[in-house]
Amino acid sequence: MESGSLALEMVGITKSFPAIRALDDVTFACAKGEVHALCGENGAGKSTLMKILAGAYQPDSGRILLDGRAVAFSHPAAARKAGISVIHQELSLLPHRSVAENVFLGVEPTRYGVLDRARMRVDSQRLLRRLGSSISPHAEAGRLSIAQQQVVEIAKALAFDARILVMDEPTAALDGAEASRLLDLVKRLSAEGVTLVYVSHRMPEIQAVADRVTVLKDGRAVMTAPIGEAPTSRLVRAMVGRDLADFYPSRAAKPPGAPALTIRSACNHRLANIDLVVRSGEIVGVAGLEGCGKTELGRAIAGDEPFESGTMEIAGAIVAPRHPRAALAAGVGRLSEDRKREALLMQQSLRDNATLIQRAFAPSFGVPTAAPMGVEETDERLRRLDVRAANFEQEARQLSGGNQQKVIVARLLARDPAVLVFAEPTRGVDVAAKAAIYRIMRDFADRGRGILMISSDLPEIVGVSDRILIMREGRVAGELPGGANEEAIMAIAVGHEESAGATLQ
Amino acid sequence: MSSAEAVAPAPRRRGVNPPVILLVGSVALYVSVALATGQPMMLHLDGIVGLLQRMVGLGLVAIGQTFAILVGSIDLSVANLISVAAVLASYIMQGRPDMMAPAVAAVLAISAIVGAINGALISRLEVNPLIATLGVGLFLQGILSASFTNFAGSVPKEFQAVAYGTFGAAPYSVIGLFVLAFLAWLLLRATKFGAHLYAVGGNSEGARLAGIRTDRVMIGAHTLCSLCAGLTGLYLASRLRSGAPWVGRDGVYDLESIAVVVIGGTLLAGGRGGVWGTLAGVLLFAVLDASFNMLGVSAYPKLVLRGLIVIAAVAVYTVRSKELTA
Repeated sequence: MESGSLALEMVGITKSFPAIRALDDVTFACAKGEVHALCGENGAGKSTLMKILAGAYQPDSGRILLDGRAVAFSHPAAARKAGISVIHQELSLLPHRSVAENVFLGVEPTRYGVLDRARMRVDSQRLLRRLGSSISPHAEAGRLSIAQQQVVEIAKALAFDARILVMDEPTAALDGAEASRLLDLVKRLSAEGVTLVYVSHRMPEIQAVADRVTVLKDGRAVMTAPIGEAPTSRLVRAMVGRDLADFYPSRAAKPPGAPALTIRSACNHRLANIDLVVRSGEIVGVAGLEGCGKTELGRAIAGDEPFESGTMEIAGAIVAPRHPRAALAAGVGRLSEDRKREALLMQQSLRDNATLIQRAFAPSFGVPTAAPMGVEETDERLRRLDVRAANFEQEARQLSGGNQQKVIVARLLARDPAVLVFAEPTRGVDVAAKAAIYRIMRDFADRGRGILMISSDLPEIVGVSDRILIMREGRVAGELPGGANEEAIMAIAVGHEESAGATLQ
Repeated sequence: MSSAEAVAPAPRRRGVNPPVILLVGSVALYVSVALATGQPMMLHLDGIVGLLQRMVGLGLVAIGQTFAILVGSIDLSVANLISVAAVLASYIMQGRPDMMAPAVAAVLAISAIVGAINGALISRLEVNPLIATLGVGLFLQGILSASFTNFAGSVPKEFQAVAYGTFGAAPYSVIGLFVLAFLAWLLLRATKFGAHLYAVGGNSEGARLAGIRTDRVMIGAHTLCSLCAGLTGLYLASRLRSGAPWVGRDGVYDLESIAVVVIGGTLLAGGRGGVWGTLAGVLLFAVLDASFNMLGVSAYPKLVLRGLIVIAAVAVYTVRSKELTA
């Protein structure tokens, strides 16, 4: 394709963050009116690339061209002005404002300095009609269905005269019929000359709607092809095909022991019929795409968003933790996937951080901070986990992500639970600390405990787990042995089992 | 961040710094104003005791406010509760020494109940702390103003000893303030409740997920805060010899208690700080009062200066905090 017909070119984009090179010399181009699917595993660099396009991040190097002209966006408003609109997975409508007010948010038409509400109504209705929708401009945005809100988001983008529309996992929260209507809408916009970047890892949708597809992996664009030349099996291979790093610990040496955690036909509003067993000495990996329910599974086991039906056993005893404290008391600990928000006391010492759970269960009276908690014991634990700090009175915020994570692990180990749920144990952690955390997990399992490791990082799932459960739509959709190939996992996760011949439950 | 970067130099223990700087600054200001205005007798024992006595009212309530702010909350109802406590005490006593104990018991019981309600509104019903305590404060003031229009009852001579009695040269009230501060420090420093208070203030969600019953901690902190306000009310009733429904509001104890806590280095967001900083902030305010008296300047420039100090203190802490973040 000669560059004259290209609506968008991103050439040689490189972007690094302190811990990681997120994008490495990525080139990505879209023809005018094209639907270009962008796919890749979680963490492959899709959202970083789109944030650069939207002006939220500045690239370290590389150029962006719109219709052949070089542009540079210092701010999201500049990108929007240039005709780039991004519809995020989490919709951003103001729930208590009307549809018309949302559509024209930030570009409200005025007349003699006064809001021109009549024009807002008429114009937003026109935009919505153009999208084939009959939503009333008066409706309160928060009362619309998710699918309708998505349409309003698109209208909002068109109100800005968006020529390039980025949609990030637009069907994640939609049911089948709504999703297919949205795909029709995407095709209609493309026919009108809008260029669409369609970010998704749902293979059937990509096959149905995209003209071309680009696959990102580990911050590089590894493949760009017309959709006709990119069957799902090839896409999946491109997304996951990489060498297994050798820093994973060896698998369990002994066969697993008695069940440490047993869950039978457990449900809640996000999970359906969960049946699983984690035996002592075992690390069971849980994989799945975002929104598949794996995060909620961890929360349910740890009593944060508890199961509403079914049974759960810890080391043979039936338990039903209704809140985190009850789960901890029953012998279940959970490492949260969001350590900043849900775990760390940023401005407090490592010792304070490491003894938080112990203190929560200490007897009510007495002097808890130093002596009875055992400074020595705590320090010893922090040292054993190789927490790198000047001293253990340092504040948690001054540590690297990996060391922060080890402090939280120390907090959990202090109570010696029977079962630990590790959610995204190495998110935002450098390679050396990753290896250390895997070793800690293996040691813990070797001492006869059970680990459920929930992760979006497929190599980690494959490299660390003794068994792998794959979730989809709130259910355990399949199980594979440890070391299974990533394609087989991905195939179950996206609902494309036949291509991999995976075993199904 | 690489693991090599993690080994940063240890920070100085900053919990100590703001109180010390404030203490030194306040003393220096007081001494220089006394000397400059030719009033060296202000540096003699009587002058210093007088200065410390200025700290008592605000100091008592500010110690309580420290608990509320440390746990990540705030209490706007203290001024109204102080009025309630002062009126209730003098109304029950009616000048009778034998009613002192029932009056004190009633005031402390009511204070504890108000604090528990504040804490429960915030933690159980998840009402924003500003709104919850503002509402409770207005409610208290409304009831009080509807029931009393002027000084109600009186306190017996024996009870006036709280404000006017001395032990040697030291007034009971000043001793009481420092004993309370010491107890508060001990509670924060050396008990499980104190540790939980910092944990909930630092990261409420993290504390909850670690098994801490965050609602109980919140209710406890607010109960302590209100009890301190109740003590302040008792002290004011003793000093004024009676209680009136405007004593708390006139003292601006709600906003001033928040101001001195923040000046003392406690984070408004919670999770860091302590009671000695608060007391140093109270000392600074007392020194400003005394200095303006010595200078014979009207009270309004003092308000301006207090405002500037609050803003400057928060700005300085914010900058320092950013410098320290890895």
